[in-house]
Amino acid sequence: MTWKRACAADEVAVDSLKKFSVDGVELVIANLGGEFRAIPPACPHMEEQLEQSGICAGGVLTCTKHLWQWDLRTGEQRGPAEKPLLMYEVRCEGNDVMVRIDEELAYEYGSEDDDDFEW
Amino acid sequence: MPARNLEKWNKPPAGLKPGEWVDSRIYSDQDLFEEELTKIWKKTWIPVCHESELPEPYDFRTMSIAREPVIVVRGPDKQVRAFLNVCPHRANTIELRPSGSFKEGTASGNPKHMTCMFHAWQFDMKGNCVFISREKEGYQDRLCPQDVGLRRLRCEVHFGGFVWVCLDDKMDKSVAQWGAGCFEALQKPLDAEPLEVFHYHKAIIPCNYKLWHDTNCEFYHDYLHYHNRITGFNDAYFARKNTGFPNGHVVVGSFEVQYDQYKGFESRKEVSFPHLPPNHWYMIDMFPGMNFNLRGSALRCDIMTPLSPDKVMIEFRGLGLKSDDPETRQARIEHHNTIWGPFGRNLHEDLLAVTGQGAAMHPDADRRRILHGRHENETIHDEIGMRHFYDEWGKWMDRSPSNPDLKYGEGHNYMAVNP
Repeated sequence: MTWKRACAADEVAVDSLKKFSVDGVELVIANLGGEFRAIPPACPHMEEQLEQSGICAGGVLTCTKHLWQWDLRTGEQRGPAEKPLLMYEVRCEGNDVMVRIDEELAYEYGSEDDDDFEW
Repeated sequence: MPARNLEKWNKPPAGLKPGEWVDSRIYSDQDLFEEELTKIWKKTWIPVCHESELPEPYDFRTMSIAREPVIVVRGPDKQVRAFLNVCPHRANTIELRPSGSFKEGTASGNPKHMTCMFHAWQFDMKGNCVFISREKEGYQDRLCPQDVGLRRLRCEVHFGGFVWVCLDDKMDKSVAQWGAGCFEALQKPLDAEPLEVFHYHKAIIPCNYKLWHDTNCEFYHDYLHYHNRITGFNDAYFARKNTGFPNGHVVVGSFEVQYDQYKGFESRKEVSFPHLPPNHWYMIDMFPGMNFNLRGSALRCDIMTPLSPDKVMIEFRGLGLKSDDPETRQARIEHHNTIWGPFGRNLHEDLLAVTGQGAAMHPDADRRRILHGRHENETIHDEIGMRHFYDEWGKWMDRSPSNPDLKYGEGHNYMAVNP
């Protein structure tokens, strides 16, 4: 059981996202309004950094590049989203936001194919 | 998926048909450009300004249509008339100022007259010649003012108080008929009460005028507009229809924009236009190149003057109601400028895009295919707006937009000609 402190609750404003490094593991904390979620820093679609391009509003995360969305309360996909959002377990201890990290969560992105170009 | 060599690059995508791309030469070829000015810009109704820019009798505005100098004046009878801004004597441009009033005299002329500074011939607001310097001494009785009135141009004030001019005396349609129904979407909001220009700026953009018009005809470029994506992309946004009208005009239906979804914006519900539900948004794109864009509290009108194949002057106007109280007017100005002003959120994004296109389609550029192949049941990300425009373009030019070497009719079975 590897619960680690990610940040203080008041370090992340309501309806906002902030990136933290927890023992070398980068993750983004979302404040839904007293409730927190911890997710990998990049969008499942195309590695967009959610701290910059994500919007957290009304419990819904929207990546503003292609408007993939997830309900942060249920994890359910919304809008054009085609992949699930991975989430760490989170709980609050006093003013601390604790995150359970067994191993770093990451998405599979398409790899560059090799250069077999013919003129 | 992989990159392509030139040979493959020059082949159109197999799945697209001739009407679903256009040949880049229609944006870059000098001869086609000249032909457009003659066959289209000299033959159709062109909005040149707004009547609120000529509030008082003797006020005037000057502009050009297909390089022909034009002047629009409000007469003592308050009626707006248009003339060729060319002196009948030796074709000097009569009035050089962009705008002003003839109430006071000029260096060479008397009050209430247009005066050609060259030899001081004078004309009244109806285009009559009223004075020829040393007339008798030089012309005896061979020529008199009745012989040398100005060329009067077809002119109407229509649709929200815009002033329209047509260089073709034989144009068989009124402006309303030319609109062929495309004005209906905004007729009520724009004709309920007089409008007034509250914002004007112009810019010369290094791209073909049709590239700017294309951008106005499609909303697929909302991927360019961060602001529109955030306040827009919902089911109602995508349900909007992109409807073609006769004469090449296109109208994009409305939906309600959530302005407050965007950081730093609050709701704009409190200011709208008559008969327009708050926060609604209609767009009318008219052939050959102007756009009426009513976004809740502010009307934007782009008027394009093609200067060369890869250069266009765009005049941007923001309009509200003449009856606005200062507070409402200020709200309209801020709503307009935060999105479309020179430092607004959207405008420079569009300008960056068309400038980028312009760089690839300068007069000596390689020939390219410009794809207009999106079909999405005629909703706003469907590129039907451009296909509709270029079909009309083809008719006026009698050339196929996907291959201007072919006549308009021939072009459609292009595949048959070149399998």
